[in-house]
Amino acid sequence: MKMPRLTPTRGAALLLIILGIVGLFAGDPYHRSTATVDTRELAAIVERQVDHVTAAELADWIIQGRTDFRLIDLRTEEEYASYHIPQAERVPITALMDYGLQRNEKIVLYSEGGIHSAQAWMLLKAQGYRGVYMLLGGLDAWTDEVLFPGLPADASAQERAAFERAVQVSRFFGGTPREGAQERSVTSAMPPPPPPQAVTPSTAKPKKRKEGC
Amino acid sequence: MNAPFFKFGLFGDHLSLVVAFLIGIAFGFFLERAGFGSARKLAAQFYLTDLTVFKVMFTAIVTAMVGVFYLSWMGLVDLSLVYVSSTYLLPQIAGGLILGIGFVVGGYCPGTSCVAGATGRIDAFFFLGGMVGGIVIFGELYPLLREFYTATPMGAVTIPDLLNLPYGFVVLAVILMAVGGFAGATWVERTMAARKGAA
Repeated sequence: MKMPRLTPTRGAALLLIILGIVGLFAGDPYHRSTATVDTRELAAIVERQVDHVTAAELADWIIQGRTDFRLIDLRTEEEYASYHIPQAERVPITALMDYGLQRNEKIVLYSEGGIHSAQAWMLLKAQGYRGVYMLLGGLDAWTDEVLFPGLPADASAQERAAFERAVQVSRFFGGTPREGAQERSVTSAMPPPPPPQAVTPSTAKPKKRKEGC
Repeated sequence: MNAPFFKFGLFGDHLSLVVAFLIGIAFGFFLERAGFGSARKLAAQFYLTDLTVFKVMFTAIVTAMVGVFYLSWMGLVDLSLVYVSSTYLLPQIAGGLILGIGFVVGGYCPGTSCVAGATGRIDAFFFLGGMVGGIVIFGELYPLLREFYTATPMGAVTIPDLLNLPYGFVVLAVILMAVGGFAGATWVERTMAARKGAA
């Protein structure tokens, strides 16, 4: 029997088939096992403070209607019900691993102050999640800087200009800006919580993400 | 060095635009060199006289698949960080049909119309105009279409996950399909050429 001539095309096809057969036994390319933590790398991230999102940045993202991140509220159900940042999904820290967050997503965590979100950040980082961020100062910072921004009486022109913008942002989120040295009065109540978000991943419609083609 | 480079922070948001620009130029260059700047060549595949498009696309798919599979197996790519777009079954079937009809009628797909436009083809500019018009109309009608647009969501699924098959098995299956497809395509081209010659 005459052997067929090995043209480049046939050679490439043959190589592909061999690679495919080897691939059959190569196993799963997803390394699903838990990753080891590079503590030095994590320490460097903490040192450089690149794991933070400020309240003003987050407010901008929400106003721009960005959907390329997931905002996770780590507080209790009652706290979440009384107020939460728009778009936030409530996930208890114990349920975080099973919540169905993807390792390729940008995840922003927040809690009341910042301790819980820092701890959750560590847990997610240890699981090999890459884009995990914390809201700097937690919901406290959000309340002070975004909902109820203040302007000291002796503010410079530059500070005044920045405040003008903060006022608009504050109104967008239903807050009340305050002028002068005036303390946040008891009457300036928290705005009502935004419409509820689906909290279970099984019923939540996945959001369209602006990535890929 | 690990990939995906962007996700591992090798370059930031701004540099990523430069990288995207360079990759885009390369993509356009190779499309043009494959002959995809010509609507005649592209449309010929629907008349089965020239299946270059099928072959080039399938070659790209198989090369990328084998590359990603083995690089990831060697630990050079973290596949879990590679973006997989979500599946919305019905709207994507509808979208595929619309794109296919546009492809047969106009002779271009979106990418190749840009390539053809860059080489100065006038029909490509009309095609591009239609595309931009379609985008505007879609954008304006989006509130009406939103429900269908997000219907039947399946999340970011892959064939191995969906069919519960080993990853390597799917890789081999796609390779065999491609090799079979190439052989079949070459046979179809020859048959069509012979028929044309006889007629």
